[in-house]
Amino acid sequence: MRSYPATPNIYAETALNLLLKRAKKPKVHTIEEYLKDGGYQALEKALNMSPEEIIDWVDKSQLRGRGGAGFPTGKKWKFAVQNPAPRYLICNADESEPGTFKDRVLIERDPHLLIEGIAISAYAIGANQAFIYIRGEYPAGYYILRDAIEEAKKRGFLGKNIMGSNFDLEIYVARGAGAYICGEESALIESLEGKRGFPRIKPPYPVQYGLFGRPTVVNNVETLCNVPLIVGMGWEEYRYIGPSDYPGPKLLPVSGKVKKPGVYELPMNTTLREVIYKYAGGTLGNKKVKAVFSGALDCFSAEELDIPMDYSPFGFGGTGTVIVLTEEDDIVQACLWVAEFYAHESCGQCTPCRVGTHEQAHMLEQILHGEADEKVFEGFDFVNKHIQPTSICGLGAVAGRLIRQTMEKFPEEWERYLKNLKAHA
Amino acid sequence: MAMLPEELLKRLKEHAEYFPRKEQAILLCLHEVQDYYGHIPDFALKEVADLLELSLNHVEGVVAFYDMFDRGEPARHRIRVCVSVVCNLMNSRKVLEAVRELLGIAPGETTKDGRFKLIGVQCIGACSEAPCFMVDEDTYKFESKEKLHEVLSRYT
Repeated sequence: MRSYPATPNIYAETALNLLLKRAKKPKVHTIEEYLKDGGYQALEKALNMSPEEIIDWVDKSQLRGRGGAGFPTGKKWKFAVQNPAPRYLICNADESEPGTFKDRVLIERDPHLLIEGIAISAYAIGANQAFIYIRGEYPAGYYILRDAIEEAKKRGFLGKNIMGSNFDLEIYVARGAGAYICGEESALIESLEGKRGFPRIKPPYPVQYGLFGRPTVVNNVETLCNVPLIVGMGWEEYRYIGPSDYPGPKLLPVSGKVKKPGVYELPMNTTLREVIYKYAGGTLGNKKVKAVFSGALDCFSAEELDIPMDYSPFGFGGTGTVIVLTEEDDIVQACLWVAEFYAHESCGQCTPCRVGTHEQAHMLEQILHGEADEKVFEGFDFVNKHIQPTSICGLGAVAGRLIRQTMEKFPEEWERYLKNLKAHA
Repeated sequence: MAMLPEELLKRLKEHAEYFPRKEQAILLCLHEVQDYYGHIPDFALKEVADLLELSLNHVEGVVAFYDMFDRGEPARHRIRVCVSVVCNLMNSRKVLEAVRELLGIAPGETTKDGRFKLIGVQCIGACSEAPCFMVDEDTYKFESKEKLHEVLSRYT
């Protein structure tokens, strides 16, 4: 086998042996290994079902999107097929949220699971062309997918008349180039059309007006990797994995101050406390947990560690990202890193976000360094609140969110800095 | 298309033929150009625009939008040090310091011999290995200055 660029040796562990059945081992699994494990049998089964039946199974499985929004996958597909063909399927492999590295493990180690998931999903929604958009920072994944697609084509799992079913599918792999915003589905579509990744105003949604103006389904890598499981075992059995209202395996990328950072495949009801102490080995130096950041999105305090991973308003949903901060870490300092992230990744389309994210980071830096007066804090507070309602896409909508949560949950941490504010001259 | 060398042009044409529509290959082409020249030279913008039947204006806009593309001075290798939330928690400053001690460059700077450019980047998706960095297409966990020196010595 050809050699690929060096990939990080990410620790992977599974309590379920489904998505990470192979990917727990840090190597690229070949098509032979995948076939030996029963690979592409779900595709064969799917091609003997009607597309409507597969959509119905995925709907009944209650699979929700694993890319962050948690939208029911079956519902998304049903919306798409209401609109006329040609339709497209896009696999969103632009995983770029801070602390999120779960999809890369699937892509780099078990590419055929993803390809089988794409093939079944494309058949279900009636797409003959599918695209994988992989972030520019995952070059190995790009080459691995290109090669795996060629392998799958040679064996007749892709291309014309797949397994004698009359169904044709080509999968193309596109590379991003360092823009977080391209993980937003409409920005991704713009980028895939060869443009700047500016999010579109919705509605219309991609299922109505997507790539080249055609109905398009955009699904995350992990979501699509669930599809062969659902078709293979049947939706009824899939519903028994984890809690009945949020079934299916979930990959949780765990990082920060824990002894065993890595990707963990766990049932959906697992709590933050279990993730940190039962699986990730507890905190470095056995320090007290101060906070958990779910990427750059939400902040949970040490009192909230018993909340479970699910998509209810009381769970920590999203991508499942767990970044652990301990008593040694400064929350306000960490907020500055989050603010810098948003400032760097704002695409610049909406002025409040383009200017506001930079102002937010700049003023927070002044506060952190004791250079701010009361007016600066007032300005910071204003900007933090007002990026949200004035943005087209989700980035602006959440650019102030985690920081605002820390102000509510860690007032004493903020007070340490705010008591030093100079009087406005 | 006289200005691009044959081997590069061949690869760009392959990219242009790959997708259902030519213009979709713009990012693949720009990656290819940057890998070849160590940056995106001005003359290549026009070549890519012509090849993909796009306006020069459009190609310039795309290059400016995507962070990985660099129209500045060329560098044979790019060191991308993650300075995002997790790597910062795990002290990515020591990676930047180690690079500065070994090569004498700060983020945004290129060594005098044009061998390395250092860039501070947002999350590169290797957070369990934090602090982490990339050299060109390879991703590494930072272990020590000595180990970093050994890694960098592979890139000539």
